[in-house]
Amino acid sequence: MDTLFSDPAVWSRIQFAFTITYHYLFPQLTMGLAWFLVYWKWRAIRTGDEKYNQAVRFWAKIFGLNFAVGVVTGIPMEFQFGTNWSGFSKYAGGVIGQTLAMEGMFAFFLESAFIGALIWGEKRLGPRLHFLAALAVAVGSWLSAYFILVTNAFMQHPVGYRIEADGLLGIDSLSAYLLNPWAWVQFAHNQSAALVTGSFVVAAVGAFYSLRECHPTQAQLYLRAGTFAGLIASLLVAFPTGDQQAKMVGNHQPATLAAMEGKFTGGSNAGVAVIGQPNVRARRLDNPIEVPGALSFLAYGHFGSYVHGLDDFPKDQWPDNIELLYYSFHLMITLGTVFILLMAYANFQHWRGRLDSDKWLLWVLMLAFPFPYLANTLGWMTAELGRQPWLIYGLFRTSDGYSKVVSSGDTVFTLIGFVGLYSVLGLLFLFLVGREISHGPAEEATAGPAAEAPL
Amino acid sequence: MIATWYAIAGFMIILYLVLDGRNFGAGMLHWLVAKTPEERRQVVAAIGPLWTWHEVWLVAFGGTLFAVFPKLLASAFAGYYLALFLILWCLILRGISLEVGGHIDDRLWQGFWDFIFVLANALLAIVFGAAAGNMARGVPLASDGTFSMAFFTDFAPCGYVGLLDWYTLSVALFATVALAAHGATYLALKTLGPVHDRSARYARLLWASVVPLIVIISLESGVVRPDLLEHAIHNPFWWLGLLLVCGAAIVLVSGLATRREMRAFIGSNVLLAGLLATGAAAIFPVVLHSTLAPENSLTAYDVAAGPKSLAYAAIWWPFGFALTAAYFVFVSRQYAGKVSVKHDNEGFY
Repeated sequence: MDTLFSDPAVWSRIQFAFTITYHYLFPQLTMGLAWFLVYWKWRAIRTGDEKYNQAVRFWAKIFGLNFAVGVVTGIPMEFQFGTNWSGFSKYAGGVIGQTLAMEGMFAFFLESAFIGALIWGEKRLGPRLHFLAALAVAVGSWLSAYFILVTNAFMQHPVGYRIEADGLLGIDSLSAYLLNPWAWVQFAHNQSAALVTGSFVVAAVGAFYSLRECHPTQAQLYLRAGTFAGLIASLLVAFPTGDQQAKMVGNHQPATLAAMEGKFTGGSNAGVAVIGQPNVRARRLDNPIEVPGALSFLAYGHFGSYVHGLDDFPKDQWPDNIELLYYSFHLMITLGTVFILLMAYANFQHWRGRLDSDKWLLWVLMLAFPFPYLANTLGWMTAELGRQPWLIYGLFRTSDGYSKVVSSGDTVFTLIGFVGLYSVLGLLFLFLVGREISHGPAEEATAGPAAEAPL
Repeated sequence: MIATWYAIAGFMIILYLVLDGRNFGAGMLHWLVAKTPEERRQVVAAIGPLWTWHEVWLVAFGGTLFAVFPKLLASAFAGYYLALFLILWCLILRGISLEVGGHIDDRLWQGFWDFIFVLANALLAIVFGAAAGNMARGVPLASDGTFSMAFFTDFAPCGYVGLLDWYTLSVALFATVALAAHGATYLALKTLGPVHDRSARYARLLWASVVPLIVIISLESGVVRPDLLEHAIHNPFWWLGLLLVCGAAIVLVSGLATRREMRAFIGSNVLLAGLLATGAAAIFPVVLHSTLAPENSLTAYDVAAGPKSLAYAAIWWPFGFALTAAYFVFVSRQYAGKVSVKHDNEGFY
């Protein structure tokens, strides 16, 4: 009997999806938080106000825990290319291996050399070097994102490659590959989204302390920084970066755009469905509520522009999970809109001088922090489900990429191992971060004479 | 060009094994050299701030292998499937036990993570050792350049072999003892007091037991791969590696005998690197030897990426390496000298 699970690629897909989704919960906070640390350390040096150093010390601890889980869950990602996707690695390694190697050489070494100095080196290094350590870690984490997004952009929109004598891919132009326009747009969109996560987490901790009426100075600092950066970043995620990303998809992956929007028949003056359920078998969107013309305008700049429907493409080029793709995209958009509204309201309340006293707002800010994680994940699901059925869009199919020598039994075994290990890791992380947050920022530097005495 | 890339990739994995090997060794000996919670914090502090930095060498090696030898990565990683995941899981457990162990000042909490830490490090040394044995012995490579290997079959090192057989197990034993000796040498350099004294004693004991193991492994290798030695003696780099091993052994022994800890540690690093380099030179140009039919074996030339990919990588790699060397100077100055465990945030936890 032919079932979904008799497809040998399916377990490798589930394993990669699980490990990468889990992994990315951590770097998105690292990348967002890094610039808060840089900013506060800079303010500490400029103003000499101890509250900024206190903030750096507190958040560096959370950063460190987050960084450690990010590192240990990140290493399997690189190796899974070879273990589970050896067909793909063999075919495209000559190209994508370049950026994966560069990520190690240019980004990870920088980050890992200075992370210890950032977390434990405040006194030993002095303020200026400590600031540089924070900057090095921030730059390292964003560089690593760029190299990974170039790799992903190649899978979405391959450029700069050539087909070698043995039929495999090689680099034709390194600059074309590294400067893939898709990568720039995706980088801007993804990094803004990471800043949203960082901002929401900082604001949530501020709201928590504010509601508990402890650490008032720190609470105010976190709330203000979190909501201000949160508004800017939420706006940037939508415009221009999200808009540009959608246009990119419309131009280079028209079938993907059609599936994201649940559009089965093409036409001009195409609308955006605010609500509706894709009915793939009947090839229609059930119960749609549409904004007419919006999709034509957003994707191609004119209300009259023709937008392809899935019917315009042969079925073997349709994304293979249209339902999940559609909902991922729509939920991401909905959440993004809510983020802008919430942060705009928070800034409005700050302007009225009521940010610390509006209990309803503080409760919402405190409880809102998981949603940017969800929105980031949904965004990546949109990108990766939308790329299907291709591993490299238009060039190489997912069904050709998995490791043929690895049995499903082996993959299920390792998937179970990851689920178990990562569940424990998640509980541990939440417990330890929760502990740090409930301890709160230390009221003064631990530089007293007593602390200098060896144990 | 391809031989140079083989040397660079080899250099990176050897550097990783030597750098992180000290952590595996120190981690394995954790319980033996440190008895009280305070002493155990000393061992953790000696490894602490640098484990991510060391692990990045593995990541950078993986990336470079991907870029220049993609077909090797595809064949070997899929073939070594279960062994690789065992390594990945142990690396996760090792890193996590290091990071979270010191977060709570509680005997049960720290005792639990100490146990995970010792277990993960010992398993890492064993699996990396077995992997080295597999590189020498070969894998059941089919004519299409792929293989799939069980953990073990009949424990004989020929035909349809498994990851573990009597030969790879003895290499794993050797690797475990050698890395423990390496770790003990490192701890003697980095610690004070009873931990130092015990580590110095273990270093001498363990290095002494490495000597007969080297002889046994060399003889076994001669039996399992009789062709290797014949092939190796024509490779000048093999002789160079051998020279390095002899020189390092002298430095190590004189360092251990005169209690010059830095000298012993340098000797220990170079000795391990020399042994691995000798192995890498002996098998070149074959990167995956087939135990089924010699003509199935893959050479570095078979698995390399296209010439333009190699040329591009040759442009950026030296820059990346120069930067890394600069960080290395920063890192080693930051963490030079004996570790001290304090309860402020300056020592590692």
